[in-house]
Amino acid sequence: MKILRAGAAVAATAAFTLGLAACSSGGSGDATGGSSESSGSGGNTLTVWAWDPTFNIYAMQEAEKVYQQDHPDFKLDIQEMTWDDIQTKMTTIAQAQQYDQLPDIFLVQNNAFQKNAINYPDLFAPLTDSGIDFTEFPAGVAAYSTIDGVNYGVPFDSGTAVNAMRTDILSQAGYTIDDFTDVSWDDYITMGKDILDKTGYPLLSGQAGSSDMIMMMLQSAGASLFDDQGNPTIVDNAALEASINVYSEMVKDGIFTEVNSWDEYINSLVNGNVASTINGIWISGSLQSATDQSGDWAVTDLPALSGIDGATHYSANGGSSWAISSNADYALASDFLKSTFAGSTDLYDTILPGAGAVANWLPAGDSTVYSQPVDFFGGQAIYADVLKFAAQVPSNNTGVYYYEARDAVSAAITKIMGGEDMQTALQEAQDTVEFAMS
Amino acid sequence: MTTPAALTELGDTKKSMKRPKGPSPKLSPAARRRSLTGWAFLLPAAALIGIMMFWPMFQALILSFKTGRGTNLAFADPLWFNYTRMLHDEVFIQTIKTTMLYLVIQVPIMLISALVLANILNNPRLRFKGFWRTAIFLPAAISLVSYSLVFRTIFATDGLVNDWLLALHLIDGPVNWLGQPGTARMVIILGLLWRWTGYNMIFYLAGLQNIDPTTIEAAKIDGAGPLRTFFSVTIPQLKPMILLTVIMSINGTLQMFDESFNLTQGGPANTSMTMSHYLYKVSFQNNPNFGYGAALSYVILIMVAILAAIQMKVGDKRD
Repeated sequence: MKILRAGAAVAATAAFTLGLAACSSGGSGDATGGSSESSGSGGNTLTVWAWDPTFNIYAMQEAEKVYQQDHPDFKLDIQEMTWDDIQTKMTTIAQAQQYDQLPDIFLVQNNAFQKNAINYPDLFAPLTDSGIDFTEFPAGVAAYSTIDGVNYGVPFDSGTAVNAMRTDILSQAGYTIDDFTDVSWDDYITMGKDILDKTGYPLLSGQAGSSDMIMMMLQSAGASLFDDQGNPTIVDNAALEASINVYSEMVKDGIFTEVNSWDEYINSLVNGNVASTINGIWISGSLQSATDQSGDWAVTDLPALSGIDGATHYSANGGSSWAISSNADYALASDFLKSTFAGSTDLYDTILPGAGAVANWLPAGDSTVYSQPVDFFGGQAIYADVLKFAAQVPSNNTGVYYYEARDAVSAAITKIMGGEDMQTALQEAQDTVEFAMS
Repeated sequence: MTTPAALTELGDTKKSMKRPKGPSPKLSPAARRRSLTGWAFLLPAAALIGIMMFWPMFQALILSFKTGRGTNLAFADPLWFNYTRMLHDEVFIQTIKTTMLYLVIQVPIMLISALVLANILNNPRLRFKGFWRTAIFLPAAISLVSYSLVFRTIFATDGLVNDWLLALHLIDGPVNWLGQPGTARMVIILGLLWRWTGYNMIFYLAGLQNIDPTTIEAAKIDGAGPLRTFFSVTIPQLKPMILLTVIMSINGTLQMFDESFNLTQGGPANTSMTMSHYLYKVSFQNNPNFGYGAALSYVILIMVAILAAIQMKVGDKRD
């Protein structure tokens, strides 16, 4: 009786855990449900997955119009899908080998590109024969979607990092934006303390436990968490240690306010609680929602790490690339991308003022639209400046285990801020990443 | 959810079904038809459970012996590689500790306060009983994700709690509740208490209403005070219900995912991450390692099963 009941309990608890077990069983029937679109079936229609109606979807719609000028029958079927959903769908489709469920073109986060293309090589079509000239993109950006020398993605939005500052707060403390141009982090901190004393405004804000800031500093010196062979280089990484030192000093001095969520971070900018922010240029969209601060902002390059070889004032954060799926009408899809995102100044001239989408395609920078002054940034032609920065961003190896390494480094930073010895914490992080890779 | 009562029933029906099968297997045509009808009714549900639950579970077991990234899965060498691997997984060991911490702190507080609340609500002289009952139970009707997000907002650095504490001059500056290991875990435990206490209270209330009032009266006549009555008369009669809630709570805590995922995102430095959250991360957020994820889910299953078995053994003295 008792044994029977225990058996029944095991069965019952088994049922509880099942949800989890089923989750990890690799989705045997999941992919077939849901989308019934017949993508890649030829004709003149391409299916596209992208996630932001005001940004990348808008850009796709404009690209459709551009391509329609020469190909009147051409049509896009754009499906809105968040990045998390695209990632889950890709995983499920690849695990179930149901590649016919893929659209023709989909947007991929740059930081996740390597991971997906290496784990699931059958998802992507190589762009070797597409005729797209990848030398017209900054090397650092194209590198995200290049595996073993083969390009798999057309870089779309620029993640080029900018240091956007409130000139009104700076002038209260007697500074101008020029004082923050081409400086080192040491100077930056000194001036930051001064501004905090005089005005009470911290310079920066950011999510606690997010390593975005550190990763930007690392890339600005061309450094990464991995060497060229893909081995983790978290310990004995001078650039990383310098970055962590700068970061923790800024937090301790109160120059950098840590908040808990992305919303809080955006609020700190829009509500005018901080004097500046350092992030990818896409942040300008959020900044400009604070119309009352119009004219008070200016953009310059990043501070550089002192005493680190190859340290520059240029970096990147985020950004995404268009990939052609293995299931696509390859000829049409590649020609479409080649004639639009990798070949149409008109397209970029439309989407820049329309959505603030800064091109990665270098020839677009010659357009006059880029040299237009932007009122919100006090008449500065910020997009032209951003393109100049973009061309100088050092490339670094993100690798397959980028997310694991980032998480591990974030955890290490939290521990270091909590008083743990840096070497120990970084060694633990390295062990965690090596474990994940084993 | 299978309650102990249902389990007993299950046992009993099995026993009673055995009886006619015993010496004479011959059934009258009418009895056979009845039996077949019964099986026909059982079949769809049983088949669904078999196909949608036990078959994937079996596949997950197979999967847990495989290793590799993404689609490049192959049987591991040795087969139990994933299971030995987790012994060296610092993050997983930390998630076990965190989950156990939640278990040890949250479950007793929750069950004791549920018991106390149930007793107060069971008092026949209490007014507005329906209101109190609804108010206390209502959190259990709220989606785990939405309440997690609400708690996240309340405990933000510029959130409600900090505003109140600052207004009362209890703190000098905003506390980063979700940014420190100790307070982040505390917020999760608070959230769990808020969400689940009322839920368990309803079970106790139901149990209390099944207690024969004459037993309590008899205790009173024998001169027992309210405390004595509670511990010596009420609690023993509530035992099956307590056992049920303990098993369910342990189960729920061991498999907790939503709070860890939505409230703290496992942070800071993975200190508030639960086992299930880590399993999700291994399978979907990091480089997909489905074999290892499946192995982790089996270890959670085994832990739940062992704990439940101990509970049944310790808690049930009726046999």
